[in-house]
Amino acid sequence: MATHPQTHENPSISEATNEVQQGSETAKLESVFKNSEPIREDQIQNAIKFLSHPRVRGSPVIHRRSFLERKGLTKEEIDEAFRRVPDPSPSEQTAVTSQDGQQAVQGQIQAVQHAPAPVVMIPPPSLRSRFRWYHAVLAVGVLAASGAGTAVFVKRSLIPRLKSWVRKIMLEEESDPLEKADAKPSLAEEAVAAAKAASAAASDVARVSQEMMKTKSEERKNFEDLMQLLGVQVQEMKSLSNNIRYLERNSNNLPKVYSANQEVYSGLVKTPAERRPYANGSNIDYDSRSARSTSPPAPPADSSQPPHPKSYMDIMSMIQRGEKPSNIREINDMPPNPNQQLPNPRIAPKAKPWDYGQPPQDESSNGPWWQQKNPRSADFGYETTTARSIGIQNETSTTEPAAIQKQRSWVPPQPPPVVMPEAAEAIRRPKPQAKIDQEVVAAASDDQSGVSDELQKVTKFSESGGDGSGRLEITEIQEETEHQHIGQEGN
Amino acid sequence: MPVFKAPFNGYSVKFSPFYESRLAVATAQNFGILGNGRIHVLELSPGGPGVTESIAFDTADAVYDVCWSESHDSVLIAAIGDGSVKIYDTALPPPSNPIRSFQEHAREVHSVDYNPTRRDSFVTASWDDTVKLWAMDRPASIRTFKEHAYCVYQAVWNPKHGDVFASASGDCTLRIWDVREPGSTMIIPAHDLEILSCDWNKYDDCVLATCSVDKTIKVWDVRSYRAPLAVLNGHGYAVRKVKFSPHRRNLIASCSYDMSVCLWDYMVEDALVGRYDHHTEFAVGIDMSVLVEGLMASTGWDELVYVWQQGMDPRAS
Repeated sequence: MATHPQTHENPSISEATNEVQQGSETAKLESVFKNSEPIREDQIQNAIKFLSHPRVRGSPVIHRRSFLERKGLTKEEIDEAFRRVPDPSPSEQTAVTSQDGQQAVQGQIQAVQHAPAPVVMIPPPSLRSRFRWYHAVLAVGVLAASGAGTAVFVKRSLIPRLKSWVRKIMLEEESDPLEKADAKPSLAEEAVAAAKAASAAASDVARVSQEMMKTKSEERKNFEDLMQLLGVQVQEMKSLSNNIRYLERNSNNLPKVYSANQEVYSGLVKTPAERRPYANGSNIDYDSRSARSTSPPAPPADSSQPPHPKSYMDIMSMIQRGEKPSNIREINDMPPNPNQQLPNPRIAPKAKPWDYGQPPQDESSNGPWWQQKNPRSADFGYETTTARSIGIQNETSTTEPAAIQKQRSWVPPQPPPVVMPEAAEAIRRPKPQAKIDQEVVAAASDDQSGVSDELQKVTKFSESGGDGSGRLEITEIQEETEHQHIGQEGN
Repeated sequence: MPVFKAPFNGYSVKFSPFYESRLAVATAQNFGILGNGRIHVLELSPGGPGVTESIAFDTADAVYDVCWSESHDSVLIAAIGDGSVKIYDTALPPPSNPIRSFQEHAREVHSVDYNPTRRDSFVTASWDDTVKLWAMDRPASIRTFKEHAYCVYQAVWNPKHGDVFASASGDCTLRIWDVREPGSTMIIPAHDLEILSCDWNKYDDCVLATCSVDKTIKVWDVRSYRAPLAVLNGHGYAVRKVKFSPHRRNLIASCSYDMSVCLWDYMVEDALVGRYDHHTEFAVGIDMSVLVEGLMASTGWDELVYVWQQGMDPRAS
């Protein structure tokens, strides 16, 4: 917009004048493109109730906003509602992001509680990456725990074993000299002692082996726990990704048929998630149909679905099977010269028919065939054509009298026909001249005036264009322009 | 009335704002599901009814929409299925084209519209939920408008206010934007199902029409947007495109998956004023000429492009 090429000067001038004209209106008109309504408290309350619902808490922010927008809330109301809904605590947030009704998640949450705070504070956008965090942290934690556990158990079992061995050896050593001193005294005693030792050793061994078994089973349990948790994680991820897909392509109001077909479409077309919104989005009705049939389509059971061309179904089914249609060529459509100059425009831009503020009059029907109109086309079954054109002119003449004429200089409106001669007389009477001038001006600018009704009416005829009685004036202008039109055509 | 048979399925048709007898057609192979695309520039032969192709450009991916520049008479802009926006100069031969290609949208670009008042910028609407503002001489987009929660099917400039445009989206809302404002200035939940198209009334800058998968066309006034001015029923399936006449204040043209092109007058009790059943597949593209009153064109998945005068039979020869 900063620089315009030479040929644009003419149109830009007319644009500028347009804008000057619009300038005064722009200020008040452009405000119509904004919401000027005050914030509705009842709508905000409804929105808060909606946003506080636990299920809603788990959905992405963009879907919550979209839902509220569809309910007719303005941006300000939605922002206010979001502001008012209390921020959820981190643990609550993690509790909610998981699937409803999954109890294993509870245990997971407790394990994850000690996870670093920043991870939890990250807003929902990428659930998948958050999951990877948790997954990794959890796995590391569990592995560490099991490692520590086994280390502890091993320590517990190893050390007692060592101790018992040492004790045994010491006992043996001790008992040896004792036995040597009492060499003969009693074979029986010896035997008893040996038996005792044996039993002690056996019990030791038994104990140790028991403890070994215990450790082993504990280790196994640990590993099983770990496996379970991993399995749970995988399930979580799967269900979450399904959820994401579901939420991505679904809005809250759509019937179940629509959502069911999303799954079918996920495997379709060249890459998943390509073309799908088009095929799904442009006609909700035909989705289920095109997904179902691969053979020549039978007449649709549901009459609200538009019948698709047979070849469309063939192509869809081909792509569903993973085949690529054979008629596709490799084309290089990149610019051969990316610095190619934009061409110099050969023609100045033309003004639009609506720039003049009113629809154009009927053009002549001479010229190439595409300009020739069927006399029927002008009517078109309109019974009120004339009234409407007058109506249109009524409206526009009140706003921009300068724009009424197209492609001609502005012709001042004809003086109104003399409807009330007495009033006309009254106007021309010299005595209240100054007062009349004032009143004429007043009547022109707004409808109020302190003059007699007749004067008011007469001045209204001339100044404004409205009301049925103004029709006379308008038709005069029309005749005038038609005369001019014909005159120009003659040239 | 002339018929042009394209090799691919038609998607959009636009009359040139400079030449009365010129129009551009966007087409896509395999119904736009997967395949190449082609842009045709057609000329209406002045001698007798007939349409001939003057130049064509091939693209690697489907062409979903095309629009003519309002500043350069030979330039057109194409919205491509691979997310790119390409600029073509019809005065140069196909091997020298396109002269620009902008790859910014993450998904298919579904519509492109040139600013008719300022004539220096255009907007594109994409399935990546965004609308982007561009100028032909800039290497990148000027702004990205990201608020819709689903595919944006069309973005259209206001015919009087050069900074205002509307966008129609699959998230069932119609949004009004002002390029000087950071976000949308109005959100109208126009339909209960996806909104496929919208267009402004050329003679009343506060009125616009939307059409939707719910088979209706609704006419809205932004000054009282809680309820529509009119609801036009009559199409048998989703309405694909809606267009206000450049010459008649209350005349709306629409095309639908029921294969028909309809004309409506929304101020009249019985709004349907014309119906054309010339297409044999989904009718998806429609345009009304700005230079020639009453001249219309339509295209559809039956690979045909019709150009006719209102009131005539499109298929009469």
